[in-house]
Amino acid sequence: MDSKRLLLFLTFALLVVPSPATASLRVFACEPEWASLVRQLLPDAAITTATTVWQDPHYIEARPSLIAAMRNADLAVCTGASLEAGWLPTLISRAANRAIRPGQPGLFMAADQVSLHQPHNHVDRSLGDVHPEGDPHLHLDPDKLPQVATALADRLIAIAPEQGRDIQRRLIQWRVQWNLQRAQWRQTAQSLEGMTLVVQHSNFGYLLRWLGVASGPDLEPKPGLPPTAAHLNQLLQDPQLEQAQGILVSSYQDRQPAEWLATRTGLPVLVMPGTVTGAVPTETLAALIDHILTSLKGLNRSEAARHAQVQEEAP
Amino acid sequence: MRSNSFRAGIALLAFTAIPTVQANELNPDISVVLDGYYKQNPTALSHRDEGFGLGHTELSLSAPVDDLFEGRLTAVLEEHDGESEVMLEEAFLQTTAMPWNLSVRGGRFLSQVGYLNSRHLHEDDFVERPAAYRALLGSHYFDTGLRLNLLLPTPFYWQLGAEAFDGNRLSEGEEDIGVYTVNTRFGGDIGDAQSWQAGLSYLHNRQTEGHTEEPAGAETEPAHTHSHDHAHGAGYTGQNLYIADLVWKWSPNGNTRQQQLTLSGEYLYADDLNEYATSDDTHEGWYASAVYQFAPQWSAGARYGQVDLRAVHGDHFHDQSLKESDVMLAWSHSHFSTVRLQYTHQDGEGFDQADNTVMVQYVMSLGAHGAHGF
Repeated sequence: MDSKRLLLFLTFALLVVPSPATASLRVFACEPEWASLVRQLLPDAAITTATTVWQDPHYIEARPSLIAAMRNADLAVCTGASLEAGWLPTLISRAANRAIRPGQPGLFMAADQVSLHQPHNHVDRSLGDVHPEGDPHLHLDPDKLPQVATALADRLIAIAPEQGRDIQRRLIQWRVQWNLQRAQWRQTAQSLEGMTLVVQHSNFGYLLRWLGVASGPDLEPKPGLPPTAAHLNQLLQDPQLEQAQGILVSSYQDRQPAEWLATRTGLPVLVMPGTVTGAVPTETLAALIDHILTSLKGLNRSEAARHAQVQEEAP
Repeated sequence: MRSNSFRAGIALLAFTAIPTVQANELNPDISVVLDGYYKQNPTALSHRDEGFGLGHTELSLSAPVDDLFEGRLTAVLEEHDGESEVMLEEAFLQTTAMPWNLSVRGGRFLSQVGYLNSRHLHEDDFVERPAAYRALLGSHYFDTGLRLNLLLPTPFYWQLGAEAFDGNRLSEGEEDIGVYTVNTRFGGDIGDAQSWQAGLSYLHNRQTEGHTEEPAGAETEPAHTHSHDHAHGAGYTGQNLYIADLVWKWSPNGNTRQQQLTLSGEYLYADDLNEYATSDDTHEGWYASAVYQFAPQWSAGARYGQVDLRAVHGDHFHDQSLKESDVMLAWSHSHFSTVRLQYTHQDGEGFDQADNTVMVQYVMSLGAHGAHGF
C-alpha cells in the first residue's frame, strides 16, 4: 500500500464532499423529548435525535453516527444530571466541537434549569445507579417543563438571535397552550388521587408525584438493575401491592417481569411510551401526558368496575 | 426513587436554588479496575501465567485541566513470575477546544491503530487480546508521543489521525521518533438497529534493526523469550504494519440494554522484518469475534484467530503459527462488575506452550467509570 497515494485520495475525497447546509440551526438532541421541544420553538431547525422511545437513554453507545452529528451541530440539548454519563462525555470528546462542551452555550442541560427530586449528598454503587444530582427523568413534570422551555428559548435566541422574535412568540404560544392543558391535567389528577402503581425505575416519577399517584413497589431491585426472580418473589409479599391498581412500565423495558407479576396478582399492565414518539397520539410532550392520563383514568375505571363486580358477586 | 409524600412535587414548586451536589468538583475522577483470574494451563503468546493471578489492575485519574485541556493518568500494576511491575499506560493531555474539529493529544497514551488497540483492556469481551495482537502489538501498544486527529465535516463519521511515538515500547532502538502511524475511520448507522465502523491503519516502525540481536539466546524456545519481555513491546515486528478493522453491532430497535450482537474482525500484516528479510518474510494474522449479549446481565461469545509469524534468528527466519479458538460466557451484575468463564483452544507450530485452557476472570470497576467508546 502506498501511503502517499492514500493521502492524495483522502484529500481529493474531502474536496468533493459537499459542505452541509448552513441555513438552519443544527441541533443534537440526546432524547426525543428535547427534540420535540426544540421543534416547537424552532420548527426549521435540523435536528438529530440520539435516542428513540424504544431505547434506554442510560445505555446508548457513543457510536460513529452520533459523533458525526455532534461534530456538525450548533447546539446539543440533553437531560444532564448524569443520565447520559455513559455516553455523552465520549461523544463530546470525540466530536471535538469547540462550541459543544461543558460550560459553553452550545451545551444545554435541562436538569440544570430546574431543581431535581431527591438529590443525594452521599451515594455509592451498592445503592444501584443513583444519581447524586437527583432523579434526571424530569421531562414529564407539568411544572418543570415550562422552566426548561423558557431557558431553552433563551439559549436558542442567544445562538440564533436573528430568529429571536419568532422564538419568543412561539414560546409564549407554547406556554399558553401548556397552561391550559395543565389546568385540565389538574382536574384529571383529582380523579386519580390516592392511586398506587407498581413501577419499574423512576421514568414516570415526576408526573406521578405531580398527579398525587403513588409510585408503589418497584420491579427493579435497585435503581438501574434489571428485575430478578428473587426480587419479584419478594414483591409478592409487599403489603403495598394490595393497594396497587396497575403496573406501569416504559415501552423500552422488558415486558416479562411486569407480566409475571400481572399473572400472579391480576393487576393490569400499562405499557406507556417513556417519551414522545413522533406519531399521534404521543407526538408532543403535552400529547404524551394527555395520553398517559387517559390511560390512567381507564385503569381507574376498570378497577372500579372490577370492585363493583366483586361486590356484586360477594353476597 | 420513590416518595412517601405524594405532594412533594407540588411543594417543590417553590423555586428552590439548584442544589450543588457534585461532591468532588475540584478533585479528579478516580477509578480503579480490579482484574483477577484463575487459569488452568499455560498457553502460547500469553501474558497471563497459569494458576491464580492478577491481570491488568488499573488506577486512573482524570479531570479537565482548564477550559482548554483535559488530562488523564493511568497506572497499571501487573504481576509476572512473582514480580510486581508498575507501568504508566496513560499520562496525557488532550485539547478540548481546538478549531476545525482538530484534537491534539500529547504524552503517554494508547495508539489508535486497529479497533482494539485504543480500548482499555478491561473493556474487552475475552480474557486476552487475539493472538495477532499479542504477537504484533504486545497486546496493546502504548507509548510516549503526539497525536493529531481531524474529524471531517461529512454527514457520516470520518476521522483522520496521525501519531508519532518514541517507539521504544514497541521495539528498542536509537531513533528519536521510532514509530509513525496514520489511521482513518468511517462509520454510520443502518436504520435504528444497526451500526458499523471500519478503519484502516498503518504503523511505520523505524527501529526494527536492533531487534535482530535479541533471539540469539532464545533459539531453542523463542516463544518463551517473548513472554519474558512482554511488557516492553511486541515480540514480532516489521517496518510496516497494516491493519484493517470492521465492527458491526445490532440491537432490536437499537435498545442495547436488552440485547446486542457484536461482530468484529481485524486483519494485520507486517513486512520488512529486518535487513535479511525477503518479500516472503512477513507476519500475518487475523481474528473474527461474535459476542451476543442476550439479556441485560449476560453475554456469550466466540472468537477464532490465527497468526503466521517469521521468528527472527540472526540472518534467517523460523516459521511459527498459532491458531486460537475461544468461547466465553460473561455475567455482569451491574455495569461495573463482570465475571467471565472462558475456554481457549490453541493449535500451534513452533510454540512449546500451545495448549487448551479454562479461565475464570473477574473485572470490577470502582469509582468513576468513564464513558466507553463504540
